[in-house]
Amino acid sequence: MTPESSTESRLPSLRRARLRDLRHLLLFAVRRLVALLVTVLVGVYLTIVVANMGGQVDELRLVQIRSEVVETVRADPAFFDMPGEERNALVERQVALEVERLRLDQPFVVRSLDYLQRAMSLDLGRAEQMHSDRGSREVRDIITERLPATLLLFGTANLLVFFTAVFAALRLSRHYGSALDRTVIALAPSSAAPGWFYGIFLILLLAFLFPLLPAGGMVTAPPPENRLEYAASLIRHMLLPVAAMFFSSIFVSIYSWRTFFLIHSSEDYVEMARAKGLPSHRIERRYILRPALAPIITSFLLMLIGLWSGAIILEQVFNWPGLGSLLFQAIGHRDTPVIIGGVVIFAYLLAATVFVLDILYALLDPRVRIQGGRR
Amino acid sequence: MADTLLKVEDLALHYRTRGGAVRAVDGVSFDVKRGEALVILGESGCGKSSLARALMRLLPRNLAHHGGRVRMGDTPISELSDERFRREVQWSRMALVMQASMNALNPVVKVGEQVAEPLRELKRWPRRRALERAAEVFQRVGLPLDFMARYPFELSGGMRQRAVLAMALVAEPELVILDEPTSALDVLTQAAIMNVLKELKRDLGTSFILITHDVATSSELADRVALMYAGELVEACSAARFFGEPAHPYSRLLMKSVPRLHERERPRAILGQPPSLLDPPTGCRFAARCPERFARCEASPPAFVPEGGTGEGAAESRHRVRCWLHAPSRGGEHG
Repeated sequence: MTPESSTESRLPSLRRARLRDLRHLLLFAVRRLVALLVTVLVGVYLTIVVANMGGQVDELRLVQIRSEVVETVRADPAFFDMPGEERNALVERQVALEVERLRLDQPFVVRSLDYLQRAMSLDLGRAEQMHSDRGSREVRDIITERLPATLLLFGTANLLVFFTAVFAALRLSRHYGSALDRTVIALAPSSAAPGWFYGIFLILLLAFLFPLLPAGGMVTAPPPENRLEYAASLIRHMLLPVAAMFFSSIFVSIYSWRTFFLIHSSEDYVEMARAKGLPSHRIERRYILRPALAPIITSFLLMLIGLWSGAIILEQVFNWPGLGSLLFQAIGHRDTPVIIGGVVIFAYLLAATVFVLDILYALLDPRVRIQGGRR
Repeated sequence: MADTLLKVEDLALHYRTRGGAVRAVDGVSFDVKRGEALVILGESGCGKSSLARALMRLLPRNLAHHGGRVRMGDTPISELSDERFRREVQWSRMALVMQASMNALNPVVKVGEQVAEPLRELKRWPRRRALERAAEVFQRVGLPLDFMARYPFELSGGMRQRAVLAMALVAEPELVILDEPTSALDVLTQAAIMNVLKELKRDLGTSFILITHDVATSSELADRVALMYAGELVEACSAARFFGEPAHPYSRLLMKSVPRLHERERPRAILGQPPSLLDPPTGCRFAARCPERFARCEASPPAFVPEGGTGEGAAESRHRVRCWLHAPSRGGEHG
């Protein structure tokens, strides 16, 4: 056997390895951050170009400004007895002022960079036609007013689906082939229909045939003053949409997670852990869940990304004042600032999520951390 | 016999399949002495790996039957409950190096931690002490100590195999079962691993069961050889006897199929296929491929009996054969 002393003196190499890991991790984080910022920049710029139709929206806007100015000048009694030429000059002056204010005299490329800079610094500007429920024309107000509603509804439903599915799947993978397992597999095709489809039936059943729950909206009108009552009303309104989303995806989620866990529990190292005589809870935690954690977290965060955008049809069916319907309306109104604002916020949230994901991945999987840092 | 470490009688492992029960291990008996290396030879699909699993109680989901008596020293380990077996025998007295150990290490846990894990989990050793013991076995199998802080993907195949070996040795088991430990490695790495095994056998006094299909590799380590065919042992004897003058026709054909460097004779293949384990033949399982078969072979199965008849000391003899040619009395009933 080796003398104890030599073993002792070489064990601290474990600590050195931890330092090495940390350095790799930092390097990796910085590199990913830069890459993500560039991605957001490109994404937002493309949206600006597309949403302005390469500057054509500004031509429309010019026409609109002129007609608005003409209209106000003509309607204003103060200018009724002004001579035609003078009035035209006034219109020209007003239009020029407005053009200068909006910097429409600059070429689109310059303005697009201007928009980009403002968008990136979250200065989202004012909407063309839309306004928030409180009457604000600020895009930021319009969006922040809708965001909590979307997050609340979709967050509740998706978190519920995610955790139920993962834990149920873990159970099923332990007893795979059982009657319950086969039932879940048989029910998986139920997810072929989207949430709003179930929503329609739920509304029909529980709001009209048996009027137990509200058919739509977020709270009763007028909203209750009392906080507790407000929360109770909110929950009552959330029940149906959450149930619709839950049923539309729960079975297929359990099914796919169960298959995922089955694949991961047939790895050689799991078999080896069994041979080692490790207790089954330890095998499950350290040999099945731990190596599989990276993909689990990925799908969790991808689900979170999905939350940021809401869902257009479901929000319409349940008359839910969320981001999905907002974006739909903005597209209908060709309200460029609102569209761009929505995309900018989405891009930032997406990038932040991906960054968190990258870091978590690196923490969880040494293959990402070490090779990623080395490259 | 006091120095018998492992005594296996009538070990069986059957799998349930759509077509019926597959009798992968069907009444296998053998023993291993302390410090001895037993090689279990056999072609693919003969049930070698299932034998290792049956011993370690690594039972599959589609288990149809698991039976037999296994004694380890004075402990009848086949009588123990699963929980007691796990606590008292598995890994601490009997460890397994599995086939395909390229992937036998958890990809997200440092190698040193994995090697030390059995001590921490099964023997409740503190982390520091377990890691120090792991460092000892690292040196023993020829792994540099700084590999303890690495992850499996940073190790080459040969190094990974050594790490798995270190893991098997860490709790100082009396018996290590090696299931095809070198089959995924290139020839040079194979030789290096075999050398490590020889050193371990010399220095530690551990018993080994080496399961392999590779006659040449097995001859390096073997004290004794047991040849497996279609779920049964057909011959068990000393390595010298097996590699020199085996008794069973299958053993003899097998030895002739091995290419040799200094002999004129060309290797000869054994014709035919092994029988299906779903429905093995009623007589001798090798009969269909045996050049020396006679009427009796296909009629009734030969027993696994001491070679050389019923003379004095035959029962004590550790050379056993399953063949009518070597039955105690050719005219008598089998058994």
